[in-house]
Amino acid sequence: MTETIAAHPIDPFAADALNAGEGLDPVDPAYSHVLRIATLLKALPVAIAATLVDMLAIRPEGGPYGLLTVAAWLLGTIIVVTFPSRRAQRWGFKIGDGQLRVARGWLFRVDTIVPFVRVQHIDVGQGPIERWFGLSHLVVHTSGTHNSTVTLPGLHSDLAAAMRETIRRHIQTDFA
Amino acid sequence: MNEAAAALPADDAVAETDWQRLHPATLLLAIVKLGPRSVNFLPALAAIGIAGKWIYVIPALGLFLLLSLVFAWLAWLRFRFAVGADEIVIESGVLARQHRTIPFDRIQDVSIEQGLVARALGIATVGFETGAGGGKKDDARLDAIGLGAAQALRATIRAHRGTAVPVVATGAGGGAEAAAPATEDRLLFAMSPKRLLVAGLFNFSLAALAVVGAAMQLFDNVLPFDFNIFNPLDWIDIAEQYGLDQWVVAHRWVAGVGAAISLLFIGFASGIAMTFLANWDFRLTREPRALRRTRGLTTRTDVALPVRRVQAAIIVTGWLRRRFGWHELRLQSLASDGEKEKDHQVVPFGRLDEIDAVLAEIGIARPGADRPWAHSHRIVALGGFVGAGIAALGGVIALAVGQPTGWIPLAIAPLIAAGAWISAHFHGWAEVGEMVAIRSGWIKPKTTLLPFASVQSVDLATDFILRPLGLATLRFGVPGGSALGSHEIPAIPLDIAKALRARILGERGVA
Repeated sequence: MTETIAAHPIDPFAADALNAGEGLDPVDPAYSHVLRIATLLKALPVAIAATLVDMLAIRPEGGPYGLLTVAAWLLGTIIVVTFPSRRAQRWGFKIGDGQLRVARGWLFRVDTIVPFVRVQHIDVGQGPIERWFGLSHLVVHTSGTHNSTVTLPGLHSDLAAAMRETIRRHIQTDFA
Repeated sequence: MNEAAAALPADDAVAETDWQRLHPATLLLAIVKLGPRSVNFLPALAAIGIAGKWIYVIPALGLFLLLSLVFAWLAWLRFRFAVGADEIVIESGVLARQHRTIPFDRIQDVSIEQGLVARALGIATVGFETGAGGGKKDDARLDAIGLGAAQALRATIRAHRGTAVPVVATGAGGGAEAAAPATEDRLLFAMSPKRLLVAGLFNFSLAALAVVGAAMQLFDNVLPFDFNIFNPLDWIDIAEQYGLDQWVVAHRWVAGVGAAISLLFIGFASGIAMTFLANWDFRLTREPRALRRTRGLTTRTDVALPVRRVQAAIIVTGWLRRRFGWHELRLQSLASDGEKEKDHQVVPFGRLDEIDAVLAEIGIARPGADRPWAHSHRIVALGGFVGAGIAALGGVIALAVGQPTGWIPLAIAPLIAAGAWISAHFHGWAEVGEMVAIRSGWIKPKTTLLPFASVQSVDLATDFILRPLGLATLRFGVPGGSALGSHEIPAIPLDIAKALRARILGERGVA
């Protein structure tokens, strides 16, 4: 669930309080950089396209030239600078007590618990951006049709590997 | 066809003599199937004909049929299977060879299916459900072997499963299994023709109407008489022939009534026909480890549903049939039911006491009538209200630009809102022992009985509307799909949701 709309908590530190209040650990702070670069790569083509439309369509028509370009780049900058760190702060997880707990989002917050014994198999993945920052994401597969995969991004690679080993010990090989 | 000579290296586990082929009657079935398939060849024939070379049409068709038959024969020749001590091996393919080994341990379900022609020939298709992710197309099939051989094969696999698989205490049916040890098969539920007729009446469906209507359009010029039952003018015409025209013109509503009666007739007739085709001679039997269902008039299917694989029970009904005390029971299982259904219909149309008897076999009990149901917050009607608002807005805009049809959405909007509001009162849940019961719906009431042990994961979801109200939605990940949607308890107080989640998962932690 991605959050694209700014959700302003009343307390500016509410995002931290959110995880702490629910007894969750935050993900690695470097994850906000991963999100920022990913957002940048998505926003950049849109901003460039807006500029091209401005130059090639609005200027010949005698429209308000420059308005669209400025608006697109300004909005893009705000989205890239402010939102990723908020989104990263709203991810939280807790491992232990025989279960993995993953919470995400604020506007639409979903708090998922997967008992280790219900895990079918586990993936640890790493994308090119994550590799720069030494992060990995953990994907847990269950046999349920809803929530058949639960993804937890923004983990330090060593932590992700350790979590995988922890869960792996609990997996039952035959679920018949 | 040089591949025919180059056989794959023989499987060490299977002796050469164990190999079996499909029933020879399968070749007859291939000829029957050739009919529809040759339609694909028609454009080519037409092209030859248009080119003016009519003389080649018959030889070309003959060659096509001959090649098809040769290929079918080769395919039959190159398909062989062997039943080993604890696995089944299937080799197939004419050009591209395929060698597949399926351990009995991995076979979750063996289905036997017979089409109309197959029944006449005494053969059956055996399907092995392995739970592979690819769905039906990835599952192995023996198409087809003799019916006796099919049943023997299934008995072999079942017997193996029974000895090799240890009892898993976490299974939903664990308790029931212990209570009802391997007894002989006994009939749990059957449908008499009278019951089928009643069920068919409730299955009133106008789906067939579109087909009939289209056919009427298509054959309008072909039929010897020019009569469309949906056209009131035709009814006036027929009245005219009997000298009733004056009377009918004066009473045009008669034509309307005639059309309405024919609509009703088609609706009821198609409902009854579909019920009879699908559920003729419906039998649900309890076998030592499974529930077994056979049904169907033209295509008979025979499905075994291992009791321990049942994940949840779903009771659905309709607002009208509930007044008469009729309900339907479906079981959600790891194995899926055919290509269309995701869950297993085990009681298509029955009384609650009949459903209770079936539920008792799988160790699930309905909450008693005295059990208080906790209700979801009325906010669940919000979605309907928003939809109604959008419809009303659309109607107003249409009216504003001078479209008189705008009155239709404007009139429907309050109905949508009222429906959503009434439905919201039916959302509720109850906790019964180690099971949670969830009910919803007004037009189509649905009760889900979900044992804690089936829950694979739990979502506790809030959003910007639920959070200020202190509410949360619980969503459960349960193995096996259901055609009736995911299992969730919407909009209940956050503390209660958290406590329920802890209880459900706590149940898991102990096991």
